[in-house]
Amino acid sequence: MYILKNAWKSISRSKGRNILIGIIVVVIALSSCIALCIRRAADRAREESLASLQITAQISVDRQAMMENARDQAGDSGGHDQMREAMQGADELSLEELQTYAQSEYAEDFYYTISSSMNAGGDLEAIDTSGSSSSTSSGEETTESSQDVPELPEGMEGGMGGGRQQPPGGMGTEGDFTVTGYSAYEAMTGFMDGDSQLTDGSVFEADTSEMVCIINEELAVLNGINVGDSITLTNPNDEEETYALEVIGLYTTTSTQTFQGGPMMGFSTATDPANQIYMSYNTLKSIVDQSEANAETETDSETGMELTTALRSQTSGTYVFSDVESYEAFQEDVRDMGLSEEYTVSSSDLNAYEQSLVPLENLSTFSTYFFLVVLAIGGIILVVFNIFNIRERKYEVGVLTAIGMKKGKVAIQFILELFMVTFIALIIGTAAGAVSSAPIANQLLSAQVTSQQSQVQQQMENFGGRGGQGGAPQDGGAPDGGEGVPEEPEGGFGGQMASYISDINASIDLTVVVELIGIGVLLTLVSSCAAVVFILRYEPLKILANRS
Amino acid sequence: MSILKLENLGYSYDRQKTMVLEGLNYEFEKGTVYAIVGKSGAGKTTLLSLLSGLTTATTGKILFEDKDLSKIDRYRFRSRDVGVVFQSFNLLPHMTALENVVLSMDISGKGQRNKKEAAMELLIKVGLTEEKANRRVLKLSGGEQQRVAIARALSYHPDIILADEPTGNLDMGTQDEIIGIFKRLASEEDKCVIIVTHSPVVAESADAVLELAPLRSPSKSAS
Repeated sequence: MYILKNAWKSISRSKGRNILIGIIVVVIALSSCIALCIRRAADRAREESLASLQITAQISVDRQAMMENARDQAGDSGGHDQMREAMQGADELSLEELQTYAQSEYAEDFYYTISSSMNAGGDLEAIDTSGSSSSTSSGEETTESSQDVPELPEGMEGGMGGGRQQPPGGMGTEGDFTVTGYSAYEAMTGFMDGDSQLTDGSVFEADTSEMVCIINEELAVLNGINVGDSITLTNPNDEEETYALEVIGLYTTTSTQTFQGGPMMGFSTATDPANQIYMSYNTLKSIVDQSEANAETETDSETGMELTTALRSQTSGTYVFSDVESYEAFQEDVRDMGLSEEYTVSSSDLNAYEQSLVPLENLSTFSTYFFLVVLAIGGIILVVFNIFNIRERKYEVGVLTAIGMKKGKVAIQFILELFMVTFIALIIGTAAGAVSSAPIANQLLSAQVTSQQSQVQQQMENFGGRGGQGGAPQDGGAPDGGEGVPEEPEGGFGGQMASYISDINASIDLTVVVELIGIGVLLTLVSSCAAVVFILRYEPLKILANRS
Repeated sequence: MSILKLENLGYSYDRQKTMVLEGLNYEFEKGTVYAIVGKSGAGKTTLLSLLSGLTTATTGKILFEDKDLSKIDRYRFRSRDVGVVFQSFNLLPHMTALENVVLSMDISGKGQRNKKEAAMELLIKVGLTEEKANRRVLKLSGGEQQRVAIARALSYHPDIILADEPTGNLDMGTQDEIIGIFKRLASEEDKCVIIVTHSPVVAESADAVLELAPLRSPSKSAS
């Protein structure tokens, strides 16, 4: 008890020194508190985002793997031809095959879409903001998707391994419209996310085969179309082949994103969100089937390739998983079910999720390093301080031990003194940290997000505005877990930025308080160690003799 | 029975190269005032350090109540069985006189009640006023600090009182008072009082004198 009393008296005696130690500990506690809060908030945001994330995945051709296989098989010579053959022979999986893999116990849900490109027929006119005639679009580029078809993992893997599906053949004329057929409402992610909204009429039944569709309100206004009117679409490869569809609903979309694609994409009206026509899978499938049935085919005498006037289409399937584990298990399961190595399973949601966390992860890493540096420097300062302190109080140690106080008790008194100061400073530092951690964390995160955005923007500009961000997620659907709020995606020219978590709740909680107490105890013990060593080495007789 | 016994005691600061004390045999008893005298460098303060348990003998041994002092807990011995009045007092300057005395009582661990009151009584007994007892030690004169050091040495009622030049810086009047205190401790409280001194007056007032001289065996002469 008298040790405690002595310690307290000693603290009040040396106010200046203890206030200085207190200030150092307050700074350490404040910095540690903010750093720990950021780390904790980052962990929490990561977990909560992941928990609330609906993971979807697609199976697509893995061209990179195919290229490597072809290269391995071909050896050093003749690799190019073999590679080309392999690439041309790469077919997307059929709907039946996709459905087979949907049987996996890990897939929670499965839906699919079919998309095609068609021209305006009759009086119908596509919205053309590019100023070029869309109907004369030629070349062998085929646009086959819209930004509202996020199940196409555009740009997901960057390069050849991307999950974007290509129609077979590689020929065909691009139309004015992108027509998409959905198997389920869940597949209409634009509507699910709230980017698109029905403003008039009703939406088609998901399983209907009737010739009904919904069109963009802007398109309707341009053409004076009302709900119940009919529109005519034609096969861009054969203008004689027409299809009449009843417009049963009009929608608006807030999305201004256009698909990033080949170099011609910027001039295509089909990529304009206003030129997206939606219908059920069965409806579009019946159109495509009918087109194939009526198609004329011929073989090019030069290339030997078969040319057809049938509508180009592509089918893609989306698997839904309840969590990451299911998704990972699914990846293995489909291999067991016979999915060839030429196909890859990938998830744009996970990519978007990882992308959304980049600034937060950066901030978390930065705060961890900052925390360690502050702790190390603070610890060193405290150790040095204690060494000076103990040397200064050498005489006191000599007297106390000379009159019979054990060295261990003297050491405990010194540790107690430091602990009391540290504890009080820790409370002050923690309180200050609790008040300031949330705003500081969000300000730092905001700076990180801005930095990340300008970095990505710069990359995009470097690529002529066409992306270059290999892993950039397609959609603005960043995970919105816990306190994390996704920032509005910013559309770039021909590419988009990821949505980043830009707001975290970095408030103090019990875990952080416990960690701070641990830091306080650790700092006290470490910095007292020097003092203890000195005390144990001191011999009272020598101290007093020197003093005399 | 002797309370302290020196058996062939020898001490060297540099591991037996230069012996400060050598082959010293002596017995100290309760109820007696001893004066240790000798020229400078004869080893008087060294002997005091050995007797107070601040250091251990290089050769031979010191027996405290027949127990080898080097083998018992010397912190406990210093805090309970021996009270030392150091030449330079060795008081804690940031504390008051009273706090210095109470601290010794705390360290001894002897369960005393009303330590503050007992310490104040003791300080008054050695000639300090209540007002001075509450002053910081640094603000007291040499004589007053000497009294505080004596009070501290007596505070936990040790059987042995060791004093190193307790009258060194004191005027004659104060010197007589201090010697009077030591004599009363020996005669009235049966303490063994050992005083290291240069002063012939102090040596004369002691019951026994232990004269130290290099390479000379000690002699005991009753006074």
